[in-house]
Amino acid sequence: MILSPEILAILILDFIFIFFAIIAFILSIKIFLGWDANSTTKKQYRLEKQSFLTAIIIKYIFIVKVPLFLFFIFTLDKMSNVIIGAMCAAGVVDATPYGIYLFIFKIMNLYFFGYWLVIHNEDIKYETQPYTRLKFGIFIGIFFLFIVELILEWLMFSSINIDKMVSCCGTLYSSSSTSSISIIFHINKTLLLSIFYGNFLFIYIFYLLRKKYLFVIANILFILTAISSLIVFFGTYIYELPTHHCPFCFLQSDYYYVGYLIYTLLFIGTFYGIITGFVEKSKGNKIENYKISVIFNFLYVILVSLYPIIFYIKNGVWL
Amino acid sequence: MKNKINIYLIEYAINSILRQKAKNFFIVFVFILLIFLLTSIFFITNSIKYELETTVDSLPQIIVQKIKAGRQYDIDENVVDQLIKIEGVKDVVSRVWGYYYFANTGVNFSIVGLNEYENQYKNSFKKIIQNVELEKGNTSFMVMGQGVQKVLNENYYDKYFNFIRPNGTLKKVNFAGTFDADTELESNDVIVVSKDTFRDIFDMDENKATDIVVKVSNPKEISMIASKIKLIYPDTRVITSDDLKVSYQNIFDYKSGVFLAIFIISLFTFFIIIYDKSSGLTSEEKREIGILKAIGWKIDDVLKEKFYESFIISSFSYIFGVGLSFIYVYIFHAPLLQNIFTGYSQLKTSFELPFIFDIQTLFLVFFLSVPSYIGATIIPSWRIATLEADEVIR
Amino acid sequence: MIELKNITKIYGINTNNKVIALEDINLKIKEGELVVLRGASGSGKSTILSLIAALSKPSSGEVIVDNKRISKLQDNFASIYRRDNIGFVFQKYNLISTLSVKENIILPLVPLNLDVKDVEDKLSVVTKRFNIAHKENTIVRNLSGGEQQRVAIARANINNPKIILADEPTANLDEKLSLNFIDILKELKKLNKTIIIATHDPLFFGLDFVDRELKIHNGKIIS
Repeated sequence: MILSPEILAILILDFIFIFFAIIAFILSIKIFLGWDANSTTKKQYRLEKQSFLTAIIIKYIFIVKVPLFLFFIFTLDKMSNVIIGAMCAAGVVDATPYGIYLFIFKIMNLYFFGYWLVIHNEDIKYETQPYTRLKFGIFIGIFFLFIVELILEWLMFSSINIDKMVSCCGTLYSSSSTSSISIIFHINKTLLLSIFYGNFLFIYIFYLLRKKYLFVIANILFILTAISSLIVFFGTYIYELPTHHCPFCFLQSDYYYVGYLIYTLLFIGTFYGIITGFVEKSKGNKIENYKISVIFNFLYVILVSLYPIIFYIKNGVWL
Repeated sequence: MKNKINIYLIEYAINSILRQKAKNFFIVFVFILLIFLLTSIFFITNSIKYELETTVDSLPQIIVQKIKAGRQYDIDENVVDQLIKIEGVKDVVSRVWGYYYFANTGVNFSIVGLNEYENQYKNSFKKIIQNVELEKGNTSFMVMGQGVQKVLNENYYDKYFNFIRPNGTLKKVNFAGTFDADTELESNDVIVVSKDTFRDIFDMDENKATDIVVKVSNPKEISMIASKIKLIYPDTRVITSDDLKVSYQNIFDYKSGVFLAIFIISLFTFFIIIYDKSSGLTSEEKREIGILKAIGWKIDDVLKEKFYESFIISSFSYIFGVGLSFIYVYIFHAPLLQNIFTGYSQLKTSFELPFIFDIQTLFLVFFLSVPSYIGATIIPSWRIATLEADEVIR
Repeated sequence: MIELKNITKIYGINTNNKVIALEDINLKIKEGELVVLRGASGSGKSTILSLIAALSKPSSGEVIVDNKRISKLQDNFASIYRRDNIGFVFQKYNLISTLSVKENIILPLVPLNLDVKDVEDKLSVVTKRFNIAHKENTIVRNLSGGEQQRVAIARANINNPKIILADEPTANLDEKLSLNFIDILKELKKLNKTIIIATHDPLFFGLDFVDRELKIHNGKIIS
């Protein structure tokens, strides 16, 4: 295992997270089983107080998680200097069998923790706190996902071997490789693009028709189609190189950190999109969640589409 | 999500912090100290890494060593002629060097043998060759680093030194001068002699060398040429400058890892103290929270205020600790701590640490300090916030 | 608008030191009424105030204010209710002595994250009305008893609450300042606030602008 300070820092924070998450977990079970909004017993008052603690813990974990995720990516990038063959974070992710799953779990948990906070904020707006049982029950589920993420993280860091050669994005993201991502390269580009734009169109249509659940599904699919099309097509126009498919490199200064904007827009758009399944309009909020989702997704689509368009205008040809 | 920052709450939080000066002062002081130590260590290692990486001169692009049964042996000189034929190779030089153990003081000197007419692979050696004749007639001469001179003078050698050959006889070498203080880190414990003298001292064959250094025209081809060399001479170990950089990074990471481990322990102790101190509430504090709740503050509001307090304390300590560290490392050149990383040998060096701005280090220290501190205050803050207002005010 | 229905409050219910503060109290107070609760210390009058302010919960019975059951409110909502509806003047004032007058008065507004202008406006309204504007920046512990009281009253009024509760407001004042306080009460009554005062100070008895006087003894209302 590479004992670099950055990895140690991440592991320390993981340890703090586990400590607090377990407390939150135990409290969630207690609350889930014993909550009775109408009762006035001492037990209920105690549970009410404990629900505050659980809420703070989850907020804390989420707030630290977000920048930590970025730090995590940068750490992977730094590690690519010592791992043979890896030229950026993508190679490091691929260095172990856990890398890609860890990544998926991390992103998934960002969504889940975010949802919990949304449900929580809705819940405390009402005197009857209608969603309390629900939200703590949900957290019990989230807890397990979180533990899986932490275990994967530990496994990944401890099994990285600097002597083992890894492939970098050149081979990872090509149709000839055998990695799990390579499937998307087998799909015809035009088809992929039409699915992507079509997906967005559906999002817009479902917004107009206010079809909640279809809207949610369209957003979930959008995550997949957006990332696939980003890797296969749009990324190459950001790099202006038909073979450069890496989803990490455009987070760096060479590309004006545009990666952050891209991923943030996508995250916010799909995040709010999926929330609408639960709460269409937050009590007290002027803007519907629908609108936020559509706007951000739209901005995402515009941003990524700009690159090939500008390229074509400048050079007169496609890549 | 679209809330503006609550200045009144910030003001209240600051007031609250100042109301408990003694306790908070202690916490801030210890915290700054810890952050200061941690950041200094990171700054020093970053600077040394940078210094080593950019002193391209000191890292040969390719080093070829002969390996037999897993150990390094002297390599044939004629390998040089073969290597120079490889396409892309600009220059090939054989090196003779080694360590001489000076029993009186228990110190190792690095001995390097140079020949006038060869291309020197180091600029500093070029200078020596130009200015000094290492062989004059039957007398041999040596040029040494400042550390060497000091040690030899202390042992009453001020004009010459007697090397003990492997067969026990003595070889007298006269002093010709000392190294320029240019590259202190490398040269401090080095003695330069002629190749003949070297071979004499260590009883090395004329057509053997310690290792061979290869320079390539295009640095991007280093690894390719290294593999070519490996193909031609399978009994060699071929080390590229990239390999060296990797191993340096690992050594430094290891060393800083050790310190980080110590740091964690101190941090842990520190937070137990914090937890303890924040949990114990004076009746005055309890009364205040009671008042707040009685006049309409929600539990969430009290929690938010406590969070502001811990955030202010930890951020302030962070900024101050990092700032102090900057001054310590880059203006005062980190006395004491520097030695731990440059190798605590008898011949100590001191050199200027170059200033590098690594934002990742700053984030690293931030993540290690601020979230941990805030985490330590979560439970105590919650306990305070959920006090019953009624009981407190009566 | 304020109704106590069959209220019983027992302190220390699970210990050996049971104290029955209130026993089966029924009380109705109309909007704009000024009610004086008369009784000795420990008679339960402070408890009544505490229940109306949702600072404590009854052991049994209900407290209804403005058609809203406040006796069972969860902590956060009880705080919101207090913030929006109640101005409490405590017996010991309960000011934060190391902060200034201004900082103490605006304390209820701090979590609300209002614009500076709003806060300043509200502040000037109460400081002028209660004649403490000239000492806005003085630290509270450097004020006299009467001044501190005015600060406490200003703080209780900053959010323009409908109900003012005062617990033994003149306990630490001399006669002159007590009479000052009574003048302030007249002002507040003119603003049509519902005022409930718990006191055993005879100065309050038989005042013409008091709508009702209730005697409390051993947890029960006598008259």
